[in-house]
Amino acid sequence: MNPLPAPPSLPRRRDVAHAHRARGGRVAAVLPIHAPRALLRAFGFLPIEVWGPPNVNASHAAAHLQPYVCSIVGNALSFLLSGGLDVADLVLVPHACDSLQGLGSILIDFVHPRATVLPLYLPRGQRPCDVDFLADELRALAERLQAVSTRTPTSDDLFACIEREAQADDLLARLHEVRARLPWSDPEIYGLLRSREFLPAEEFIPVAEATLRQTGPAPRCGVPVLLSGIVPEPKAVLEALRNVGVVVVGDDLACTGRRLYRRSSDPDPYRRLAESLLSGPPDPTRGSPIRDRLAHLRELAGRSGARGVIFYDVKFCEPELFDLPRLRAGLQAAGIPSIAIEVELNDSQPHQALTRIEAFAEMLA
Amino acid sequence: MSGQGRVTARAGLFLGRAALRLRRIRAEQRARAWQHDVLGPPLRLSPREKELVGRHWLEARFAPGLGRKVAWVTSGAPVELLKALDFFVVYPENHGAICGTARVAEGLMMEAEAAGYSRDLCSYARTDIGCVLSGRTPVGRIPRPDLLVACTNICQTVLFWYRVLAEMFEAPLLLIDTPFVYYDEAPAHAVEYVKRQLEEAVPLLERISGVGLKAERLRDVARLAKTASELWMEVMQRNRHQPAPISAIEQFIQMAPIVEMRGDPETVDYYACLLAELDERIARGIGAVQAERKRLLWDNLPVWYRLRDLAETLGRHGVVLVASTYTNAWGELAPMIDPERPLESAARTYLHPILNRGTGHKLATMRRMIDDYRLDGVILHSDRSCKPYSVGQIDQRERLTRDYGRPALLLEADHNDPRCYAEAQVANRLAAFIEMLGP
Repeated sequence: MNPLPAPPSLPRRRDVAHAHRARGGRVAAVLPIHAPRALLRAFGFLPIEVWGPPNVNASHAAAHLQPYVCSIVGNALSFLLSGGLDVADLVLVPHACDSLQGLGSILIDFVHPRATVLPLYLPRGQRPCDVDFLADELRALAERLQAVSTRTPTSDDLFACIEREAQADDLLARLHEVRARLPWSDPEIYGLLRSREFLPAEEFIPVAEATLRQTGPAPRCGVPVLLSGIVPEPKAVLEALRNVGVVVVGDDLACTGRRLYRRSSDPDPYRRLAESLLSGPPDPTRGSPIRDRLAHLRELAGRSGARGVIFYDVKFCEPELFDLPRLRAGLQAAGIPSIAIEVELNDSQPHQALTRIEAFAEMLA
Repeated sequence: MSGQGRVTARAGLFLGRAALRLRRIRAEQRARAWQHDVLGPPLRLSPREKELVGRHWLEARFAPGLGRKVAWVTSGAPVELLKALDFFVVYPENHGAICGTARVAEGLMMEAEAAGYSRDLCSYARTDIGCVLSGRTPVGRIPRPDLLVACTNICQTVLFWYRVLAEMFEAPLLLIDTPFVYYDEAPAHAVEYVKRQLEEAVPLLERISGVGLKAERLRDVARLAKTASELWMEVMQRNRHQPAPISAIEQFIQMAPIVEMRGDPETVDYYACLLAELDERIARGIGAVQAERKRLLWDNLPVWYRLRDLAETLGRHGVVLVASTYTNAWGELAPMIDPERPLESAARTYLHPILNRGTGHKLATMRRMIDDYRLDGVILHSDRSCKPYSVGQIDQRERLTRDYGRPALLLEADHNDPRCYAEAQVANRLAAFIEMLGP
């Protein structure tokens, strides 16, 4: 019997950033959720995403943020204040919610980190005026990036970056499609999927292609579920899912499944970027109607064979919490049970959440 | 609308108005006998304001019966366009505040929580959702919306909240997205974006209302909104006088018309009368507290269910809340409104409320108000339910104290949820703060 192939060996986020800097490159720390990676690359910045991270000393942020601000935002500030983002030349703060808005604002007005802080407003609709606005917003961002980097990419440079990122996104989407047939555990698969948050596209592409070649004929054994929410942290939860025999067969997480962008063919590079950024699956932070989210979850559950949905949210996350009652009721009506778990990123062993997941898995099994 | 329906609605309006008038007359009689050991006499106009607001909700109730379309809107929505198209405009946030002051919000929030809405969500939103789910309200009955309008210039929460309402009522949701202004002014492409949204909304609004937009009507409404906002600003600026004739706590009550009846002639009339009464109080040396000793700024929404307690606690020490960034927000943008260019100026105006601007801008506003109103300190209400207003307050407090030499207190509470109000802790912190203000 052939042993299972080893999962791809992936570098750590921090090591990728430092290696890039060591080669003379620039690093952009990018906060959640949607950001124009290609634009940053065109100006010579390697985007490294900051989703928290978990398990940082949260006391640093307490000097600036109230305790009712979510731990993704609080931890990001703590991480920055404790030197975790010293490798970054730039901090990009996309506007996704009131907490991220506040973080961007206090960074600009009060904290004044060494790295340049640039905000980006993402429109809440998908109307033609929203695309036009986002294209203008990206042009304005490009002007600021030019000032920071002293680099002036040509239109061709930008198109080349867009194409390279689109290739990586296409492969990421393929990985999501075949995830249940990959021969690894969910913690390993999430490690791979989330490497898109920090690997340069040209390094992610060969890793993704090699991974896709490992796709097996049949799904892994286990209770199939769909994971929704923001970010699969702390990792103890993914381990807990594995331990109780749950297999994640579909993903609607903000950090992964909601960022499967479609290609655009618009002849203007900024409109191409804008159309693509607004093309992802339904997302409350982009103003998608709840019924669209519900339809997407039902379709995803049907396509993947998921027997249940785990909503896995960070405490105080308003965009998620407002949708939950109607989403859960709609799923229930379709015969898809769900569970809602709230965690803090710094709670490395969220016992209550783990117990509830265990009970949910038993119920599904 | 059937003829019978219209007759019923008219009769209901007639009777309701009569009841409100009677209530006002009784309140005016009670007010004459009113006495307090620390607070100044109440405004003579207060019963009339209550009648005005009561009539608004009464008319809301019967608006569908009279064939008018109803729009539920966020407090920062560009309402002039809706009024020009004859929508009856309902503000769930104001309704939330009414529930808060009437101390019925908690029960409504529990209805929402029982339906799965987290206690970590905005207490206005929970109050409103609880009201929709239970049908309970202190204003009689709220009409179903034919349209929902969410403008993101006060928070993103309103969009998440109105998406829920859109599904509950199966009503169309109009989004007016107003990009957050991180720097000094909104960039030109943001102004253009908002203007375009307003222009593109017109056909939808005309279709729902069944009324065509007339430029002259829109100009008239904009003119009324501007005049009312200017008068409201003058009302607040009367507090440059010492003693301050109207406390910020009273302003929280008196601001209802500028929020929910902006663009109506009655609002202009009311604030003109209020201004005259304040001038009379100034002439007679009547203050909001009887022995004004210290003057404070309030930042953020009020704690609706503790307004009276706060006024009395502060008043006992001769402390008066003279100004607030919250009430100020409804007047400071008046100069931006240009009735001759209603949509373009609306785009610019509705991009620039304090809640849609950076934390540094709010600090600058507070400093300006401290100078303008000669204030001795600041209370920053850290409002668990309002992140856009609250995030930044820790740094603002530090700078007010360190760089501006003004004592500043961060007070943890929630504008509508009394379960987040720690009575003893608030009392202790207020007492210590008042002591720090000195003699």
